[in-house]
Amino acid sequence: MTRSLGWLFLCATLLLGAGAVRADSIEVLGVGVEPVDEGYVVHADFWFELSPRLEEALANGVSLNFMVEFELVRPRWYWFDETAASEKLQVKLSYLPLSQQYTVASGPVQQSFTSLAEALRVLGRIRSWPVMGRDRISAGQSYVGAIRMRLDTSQLPKAVQVMAMTSRDWTLVSDWRRFRFVAPEKESR
Amino acid sequence: MTYMLIASAAVGGILLFLLATATANSPIFSEYYPLLLWLNAAVALALLILVVYQLVRLARQRRAKVFGSLLTFRVLVMFALVGIVPGLLVYTVSLQFLARSIESWFDVRVEKALDGGLNLGRAALDVMLSDLVLKAQVMALDLSDVPPAQQPVALGRLREQLGTENAVLMTSGGTVLASTRTATDRLAPSVPENALRQARLNRGYGAVEPFGEKGLVLRVIVPLNTLALVDEARFLQLTHEVPQSIADYGESVQTVYRAYRELQLSREGLKTIYILTLTLTLLLALFSAIALAFLLSRRLSRPLAILAEGTQAVARGDFSRRAPVTSRDELGILTQSFNSMTEQLGEARNTAQRNQAQLEMANAYLESILANLSAGVMVFDSGFALRIANAGAARILREDLGPLDRVPLSQWRKLEAFAGMLQAQFAMHPAAAWQVQFELLQRLAVLLVRGSLLPGASGGGYVVVFDDITQLISAQRAAAWGEVARRLAHEIKNPLTPIQLSAERLQAKLSRKLDIDDATALHRATETIVAQVTALKGMVDDFRDYARTPITRLEGLDLNRLVADVLSLYEQSGTLVQARLQPDLPSVRGDPDQLRQVIHNLLRNSQDALAGTANPRIEVETAAAPGTLGGQAWLRIVDNGCGFSSEVIERAFEPYVTTKPKGSGLGLAIVKKIIDEHQGTISIENRRPRGAAVLIALPLAA
Repeated sequence: MTRSLGWLFLCATLLLGAGAVRADSIEVLGVGVEPVDEGYVVHADFWFELSPRLEEALANGVSLNFMVEFELVRPRWYWFDETAASEKLQVKLSYLPLSQQYTVASGPVQQSFTSLAEALRVLGRIRSWPVMGRDRISAGQSYVGAIRMRLDTSQLPKAVQVMAMTSRDWTLVSDWRRFRFVAPEKESR
Repeated sequence: MTYMLIASAAVGGILLFLLATATANSPIFSEYYPLLLWLNAAVALALLILVVYQLVRLARQRRAKVFGSLLTFRVLVMFALVGIVPGLLVYTVSLQFLARSIESWFDVRVEKALDGGLNLGRAALDVMLSDLVLKAQVMALDLSDVPPAQQPVALGRLREQLGTENAVLMTSGGTVLASTRTATDRLAPSVPENALRQARLNRGYGAVEPFGEKGLVLRVIVPLNTLALVDEARFLQLTHEVPQSIADYGESVQTVYRAYRELQLSREGLKTIYILTLTLTLLLALFSAIALAFLLSRRLSRPLAILAEGTQAVARGDFSRRAPVTSRDELGILTQSFNSMTEQLGEARNTAQRNQAQLEMANAYLESILANLSAGVMVFDSGFALRIANAGAARILREDLGPLDRVPLSQWRKLEAFAGMLQAQFAMHPAAAWQVQFELLQRLAVLLVRGSLLPGASGGGYVVVFDDITQLISAQRAAAWGEVARRLAHEIKNPLTPIQLSAERLQAKLSRKLDIDDATALHRATETIVAQVTALKGMVDDFRDYARTPITRLEGLDLNRLVADVLSLYEQSGTLVQARLQPDLPSVRGDPDQLRQVIHNLLRNSQDALAGTANPRIEVETAAAPGTLGGQAWLRIVDNGCGFSSEVIERAFEPYVTTKPKGSGLGLAIVKKIIDEHQGTISIENRRPRGAAVLIALPLAA
């Protein structure tokens, strides 16, 4: 595990620029693809800051849906790029006023936290996200991966969506983080 | 255009329905709400463009003054008013109503009640939690007295004593040392990592955590204050499931609270949504209404424009246009009656044109008859103003009658004698036709004038017909002269021979009996008598020649050769005779001997007229008559001599009319007689500055 994580973050850190962290946005801190038995999983770290408007909405019971999007393509000079994987992961952040807890839910998994900061920290840590089977990529080939995280405004209540149409307070999105990825030989595992 | 409008209105309607559905509190389309909004706005914009385009087109048509555009505009304005005013009214009221009703959702009392309910739930949970904390502290105190090795055993006992559901003893690293629970407990003896971390940090942890779908669980973690030395700090976790009923109540309060707060938060957004939906509805409805108004107004004004086109065509005189009947309403009936009216007009005009053509033909017929009439015809209206004068009248009167058109007889500035005679005659015979012979002094012509009244039905007036009978009179005169000459010749000639014979016998008998002087005197007297008798005989022969009707033998004759023959005799006469003979002249019908005499006579006349002329010249010319006179040959003899005096020229062909000091005066009379026998014509005229011309026309041989 440590070995694979080691080379996993190698390629990530190589590509990561020392980008300045902006307020009210998401930054990709690091990303990596790791081969496991069934296929490949993605690990990624995001840095978050919610705008006061978003925090207020959260405190007032609005659930915030975050979408992590991952793409892996093989550039082809003679044709359209081949898409090896295109996956989306939905993570839902909500506040429960009765128990005064923040919950982070991704599929059936649900975790609760007493503080928002902790919830955001967990929200920004994506671990072992299965993105594709082994057969989707050919060994030794070079691919370009891309990942980003954004607030899915289409899941907001309609009234809030209308407000979001005219205000930047509701946009929360990271840039695409692109990285090179060379598919390992099967034996190297 | 129509289809575009229907399509946009239909799309707009569907989108509007979707938008309204989405705006209502339902989760459908929630995801596509902004897209729906944009689509609706796009359709509204499309309709607006359509309307603006139509308006611009209409404005252009109005500027170009296209018929019907004003009506279209008026109908459009009416329709638009009918659509816009109620629409705006409903819109304004709805906006007011909307703002008020949304505000009315939010009530301070409801908010307080919800807060209170939530707080109540929290308080209840807090009480349960503090109870569990108390139990945990008691257990931790008791456990800390027990040596570590016996703690798992003590744990079970203590849990049963305090009546908690689930107890876990673990190290600070999270390793479970011992766990115990009731049979009914549904919780796994798991320890969340983040809870344990907080317990380590804060020397304890207590929280209400969500569990499962709707459940709540109380979790408390406390450290054990162990006196004994252990390698690692130990923690005790107690968990207890909140009773389902309390959890359910709490959950429902929380749900409503969240929904309420969410609504409150998005109050402005909600208003925006409703206003947007309402506005879009209004715009779609308005634009559709205006576009529909365009269609309707065009439908209404189109038949009128067609009618107008038809009217203009009729005004230009085109009766062939038929406006198509498109509807069965009053406009259709109007169009139909317009069509039948146009048809009738066209027929009426055709009839009128036919009648006019017939009338014109009749007039032309009459006019051609009048024009070809050798007699002069004049028509006067009831006020004696000249209305019609034919060509014959002008020819006979030798006057241009154009200036006299519509001039009353009393105001004629020329032909005053003629006009006076007409007035006098009409005054004398106010109700009957009259006939009178009138001598036209200007040209010594005699006219036979007949006057009559026109019937009152054709507007009244008078008609005068007159003929130049000068020729007739001269012919009569010539005939009379012929008779006189014949008798005179007969009567004179009879005694002449005895006179001559007697005189000769006198000379024969007496000359020998007389002396020389007397004989000479007798001889002289006898010779005088014989000479005079001979002269008298010649004269009588001339008379006889004139009076005798010679037998004319008409035969084909080369006029040119004849002329050349005669002219050869005149070559030595000292007068310049110029011949211009048309080659290839067709032969004429004539008696060569008589025609020779005609040419001789004419040439002699010319020679006589040239006596005393400085530069005497005679031209003889033959030609085929041109144009309508074809079938004739002309012979023209022109000189530059003294010409005819005006008294003589009218009667030049009568016997004993002469300009010459000596001459029988029969030359031209004989010429005229011969030409008449040949069925030819002869005319003479004076030439300027001096001279005379004789023109003879002879018929060609068949």
